[in-house]
Amino acid sequence: MGTWTLDHPDKLTFDEVRRVLVKVVEGSVSVVGSDDRPTLELSELSGEPLRVRDHGGSLTIDYERPWRPWPLAWLTGGVQRRKAVLTLAVPRDCRVELRVVSASLMVGGLQAPVEAHTVSGEVTLTGLRGPVEAESVSGPVQASGVTGDLSARTVSGDLTVAEGGGGSVRARTVSGSVAVDLQASGDRDINLSSVSGDLTVRLPETSDLQVKLQSTSGQVSSAFDQLERDRTPGRYTAWGRLGAGTGRLRAASTSGHVALLRRAPETTL
Amino acid sequence: MSPVFSHGRLRLYLLKLLEESPRHGYDVIRLLEDRFMGLYAPSPGTIYPRLQRLEAEGLVTQSQEGGRKVYRITDAGRQELASRREELDELEAEISGSVHGLAREIRDEVRGSVRDLKQELRQAAREMRREQRHENRSRRDRAGDHHRDWWDEGEGFDRRLREVLDKTSRALRRAQLTEAQLRECAAILDDAFERIRQTLKTPDDTHHDH
Repeated sequence: MGTWTLDHPDKLTFDEVRRVLVKVVEGSVSVVGSDDRPTLELSELSGEPLRVRDHGGSLTIDYERPWRPWPLAWLTGGVQRRKAVLTLAVPRDCRVELRVVSASLMVGGLQAPVEAHTVSGEVTLTGLRGPVEAESVSGPVQASGVTGDLSARTVSGDLTVAEGGGGSVRARTVSGSVAVDLQASGDRDINLSSVSGDLTVRLPETSDLQVKLQSTSGQVSSAFDQLERDRTPGRYTAWGRLGAGTGRLRAASTSGHVALLRRAPETTL
Repeated sequence: MSPVFSHGRLRLYLLKLLEESPRHGYDVIRLLEDRFMGLYAPSPGTIYPRLQRLEAEGLVTQSQEGGRKVYRITDAGRQELASRREELDELEAEISGSVHGLAREIRDEVRGSVRDLKQELRQAAREMRREQRHENRSRRDRAGDHHRDWWDEGEGFDRRLREVLDKTSRALRRAQLTEAQLRECAAILDDAFERIRQTLKTPDDTHHDH
């Protein structure tokens, strides 16, 4: 229990943190799982002081006065800036929710559900085992080693999933490109869609997926010859079953290209 | 791949790990994972190309031992490491000194490897599309039916149409048209349009017209 007001770089430690909610504007927010005592490191702050509230293991970090974008700020040059660079080390089973405007977000090494929302910042996710929801308007979303279910949405930001583990992947974008590299694929659901962004998926040689790829005016291509292909003006599709077909892969775009690639057997070291 | 990718730091760590002792690739990965406190584990697909690059630059050598590759630092590698020792120490201090430094380092690392992956996939997809187009084109050439062109291009009818229009208007703008040529071109286009319109007419429309 407690409330702190931080107006300069500082470090706080907590006894127990089971839940984190961060609502800031600009800068960067990183949350990493750790076995040490939960800490908050504020390494940079400008503008409004930051408020930290601990309510029985539920930590909220935000500003006392809500931030409102001022439509004419660019005219007067008197932009009210609220920049904070903060890093949290929390237990691995801590739930995390981040809501920011232009700050970049990084979350790593957790097992609990994660939510990351930004407007123009970038989102980096790594080593997450719980369900993850990421959202950005213009910033890119990049995930590496996320094994929980991943749901990501952007308007123009690119979405990239490296070393996608066993979870489901759901990605939606308007004009960003989506690139997904999956490791072992089993009973999972992969659903990608875009309006004009290209969709690219790379699968291991042996995959068990029911596949459907589609684009209205983009090209659909696949490195798996067992897929059927059909082209008519205004519809380009490829579909079929890979392996046992226990999982599902759907990728649909309006004018973006859709490509299904096959990964060469893992390089040995 | 472009040399601006952020793996300058990873490269230093790889050299440092190999300076401590010769190692298998998997040991290198495990040690890097420890370094990042289990938050980030680079995949063989990330590490292997870097080790290969270091080998190509003569900074490490590689040999087969017991069915696995073992990497060793060379004198040139030691020199490179010595010349960048300060940079390395700085980074080490930053990472062990604060969670912030660690988080930033992981973010940079993920960002770099994701960017490499994105580029690799984009390239592979582009090549596959080109091959497929090429295949379709040669199949079409064999069949000799020109109209398939508009579908087999795989770009969609709209896109193909736009391409033709673009080319036409570019050609018209580039040429020093005489009055007669201009009239002729206009007539061709009018004619084409009229014929397309006729083709698209449903039987019903035709009926009303006559």
